[in-house]
Amino acid sequence: MKRENETRLHPKAAEAKDLMERGRLSRRGFIRVAALTGMSAAAAYAMAGLPSPAFAQDSKLPFVDDPEAKKGGTLRVAMEIQKMEDPANYDWTQMSNVSRQIVEYIAFTDPNNVTHPMLAESWEASDDLKTWTLNLRQGVKWSNGDDFNADDVIFNFTRWMDPAVASSNAGLSTFAAMMEEVDSGEKNDDGSAKMTKRMIDGSVERVDDHTVRLHLTKSVLSVPEDLYNYPTAILHRDFKAPFSDNPVGTGPFELAEFAVADKAILKRREGPYWGGDVYLDEIHYLHYDADNQLTAFASGEADAIYQFGIEQMELAKAIDGEIIPARTAQTLCCRFHVDTPPFDDKRVRQAITKAVDNAALKALIFPEGGDVGENHHVAPIHPEYFALPPLERDVEGAKALLAEAGKENLEITIDIGNTDGPWHQAVAEAMRDQLSDAGIRLNINVMPASKYWEVWTSTPFGATAWTHRPLGTMVLSLAYRAGVAWNETNYNNPEWEKHLDAAEATLDVEERRKLMEPVEKILQDDSVMVQPIWRPVYTIVTAKVHNYPPHPTQYHQFNKVWIES
Amino acid sequence: MVKLILQRLLQMALIMAVVSFVLFLVFDSPKFKKQLAVNDLGGFAVATLTQSDYQAWLAAKGLNVPFYERYGNWLVGIAHGDFGRSFQKNEDVGFLLGRALVKTGILAFWVFALMIPLALVTGVFAGISEGRVQDRAITFMSVVFTSIPEIATAIILTVIFALGLGWLPAKSKGDGLEYIILPVLTLVLYDFGYVARMTRASVAEVMTSQYIRTAVLKGIPYRRVVMKHVLRNALIAPFTVIVLQLNWLLSGVVVVEVFFQYDGFGKLLLDAALFGDLYVVQAATLAAVLVAVLSQLISDIGYTFLNPRIRFS
Repeated sequence: MKRENETRLHPKAAEAKDLMERGRLSRRGFIRVAALTGMSAAAAYAMAGLPSPAFAQDSKLPFVDDPEAKKGGTLRVAMEIQKMEDPANYDWTQMSNVSRQIVEYIAFTDPNNVTHPMLAESWEASDDLKTWTLNLRQGVKWSNGDDFNADDVIFNFTRWMDPAVASSNAGLSTFAAMMEEVDSGEKNDDGSAKMTKRMIDGSVERVDDHTVRLHLTKSVLSVPEDLYNYPTAILHRDFKAPFSDNPVGTGPFELAEFAVADKAILKRREGPYWGGDVYLDEIHYLHYDADNQLTAFASGEADAIYQFGIEQMELAKAIDGEIIPARTAQTLCCRFHVDTPPFDDKRVRQAITKAVDNAALKALIFPEGGDVGENHHVAPIHPEYFALPPLERDVEGAKALLAEAGKENLEITIDIGNTDGPWHQAVAEAMRDQLSDAGIRLNINVMPASKYWEVWTSTPFGATAWTHRPLGTMVLSLAYRAGVAWNETNYNNPEWEKHLDAAEATLDVEERRKLMEPVEKILQDDSVMVQPIWRPVYTIVTAKVHNYPPHPTQYHQFNKVWIES
Repeated sequence: MVKLILQRLLQMALIMAVVSFVLFLVFDSPKFKKQLAVNDLGGFAVATLTQSDYQAWLAAKGLNVPFYERYGNWLVGIAHGDFGRSFQKNEDVGFLLGRALVKTGILAFWVFALMIPLALVTGVFAGISEGRVQDRAITFMSVVFTSIPEIATAIILTVIFALGLGWLPAKSKGDGLEYIILPVLTLVLYDFGYVARMTRASVAEVMTSQYIRTAVLKGIPYRRVVMKHVLRNALIAPFTVIVLQLNWLLSGVVVVEVFFQYDGFGKLLLDAALFGDLYVVQAATLAAVLVAVLSQLISDIGYTFLNPRIRFS
């Protein structure tokens, strides 16, 4: 369905409209489906009878002017400044926050969790969701003067699927559905052929200068969402790493100064910018470690910060500033290697999950905000979340399972990297106390965050932070399908994958929610992880900062942010 | 004396050679290289790279040659003023090290400029008033400040002067003098007590010596006795301690630098060690050894000048 031809609704959008009219789908849910199928945000909001937010008033642009905005000024943001080598390999959101001001994405997921076209002007999905056509925006210029066109998009898509680039984008459903397994030419230790995945020839088709068509081997719902995942920034077709040395972009800012662990100075682009007015003259990202950002803010050294942790809430409340909370699908998975003893015994895993009281952990660690995790990695804020019965702690049941497995007096060790803050360790310590009631001794091995990322896939029992993703199916595909690179549990359950396939092929949220019941239930019953908390994220800004986005992924998109002098 | 200096310099070169060699050896393990790859490329990339792609990465970073060869190249590089390149920060190590040393040098200058007069004056005053209220008050203060960990002092000062009164920035990210006041104060408060107590003990000991008693009995004015006879003899021990504080200020103040986000030498070394940034760790270690041995040397030389009874032969 083309945006210009809005009278012909995509069948899925038509179904969604029907559901909305019959009261079975919320208006916001309809907007989500409509946007996913390529309808302009303005049209979707109008059809839903909702007032159109600023970004959707003009269907030509994803961002629309704020009539009250004042131009000029510098926004100072306290955040970790990390190396910007290759955006396709980013593994920290902070890296992308600096480059997101310089390079842009095909799509844009707004703070309401609704995805809109960005470098694409629109997209069309086939009825079976296997063919997606991206209509790219015309008139977009790179900062080096080149025109943005289909070659740029194809260059990026192709390299994301190149095993030598090793981009995590290859694990996204969209790109996984355009790849095939081939012999790498190398041998495993046992002499068998080592397999690798590469792009299927012809899966990315160049239709014309501003149209790219994707041919997927299976239905994928989340193509637009995938295209705003933080490592999917569209780079210039001649890109050479490191990005910080070659920061060519289509975005509203240019990199003026950059030093790792020091600062990143961005200045408003001199040349023409396609995305409308940009208010800030400069953005100064100043390096502060996570623990120091709030103090820097409190003493007036920053106008905004990346985030502060729950342990700093009391300090934040005492500071003159606006606390911006966001409910998220960010979580901590204390996950097992399901094929490594003693966790290869499902009874052992079930005993551990039964002995832990997720609700108590949530209340203890995040008394304000957040949601209780249910050990299946789908969050209540995901549109397709199916509410299973609440988990009940069962210490006696845990003991019985351990006895059955012959694992009384079980002693296990969890690796903790505190990659998302010291609350990881607090979770482990609380778990240790709860597990001791069932006779399980939990040792906690705390290591620096960088060390944890060295072992995150190989440790038999580790606590890994997973960031927010707009759809529940996205993270399940990334993390629990057999053989995918981010499968840190070694979980392999074809039956579960069939259910997930079905859910991923269903655009109708109500239908998809039904299909999610077995997906969530099987994963929960298999006790792949203790996943106690959906954490809220907090940031804080001064009163003079406007339109600062409370994004659940902590993505910074500062096109319409402005600051009073 | 010349022989002493030469001996010490030779010792220094030997220590530096051994330390750098051991570091190269330790960091040469496949495990370390993997960790570096994770830090450089991200965990995902390393988990999915094929062996040949991983080898290509090692080659690009110059890590595919034996460590002794790299060690040799590194030594040749240093002879040409090239300390290598930081994996983490994508900068020349010489530049990073120089910048951090300058920052720490500025910090050390202000710490010394405040701490030495404060410690000496209070120490001497306590020493010549041994057992009196002034002595007990100064000793009490010295013990209190030295006993409070730097991190606690840093937090207390930040809460009072930055968050409470709003007079000073909480973090040291700027170039103005106001950005350095809190870290300097933290270090001065922590260190002055130690030097003051050393000074006090030394002065008190000299005050009980027979030549001081003789001088007093001869009728020399008390002020002159203190200035001419006590101080000359009593400051030998504090001098040594003060010079050795140079070494502490270089690499022992990581906590303060990290707390105040002051981009000095200690923070550089910590960041590099956590990342596995080999060439930065190497260069920083050499600088630390250099300063440690030089400060020892200065201390020894100064000692011989201050104390004519000691002669190295």
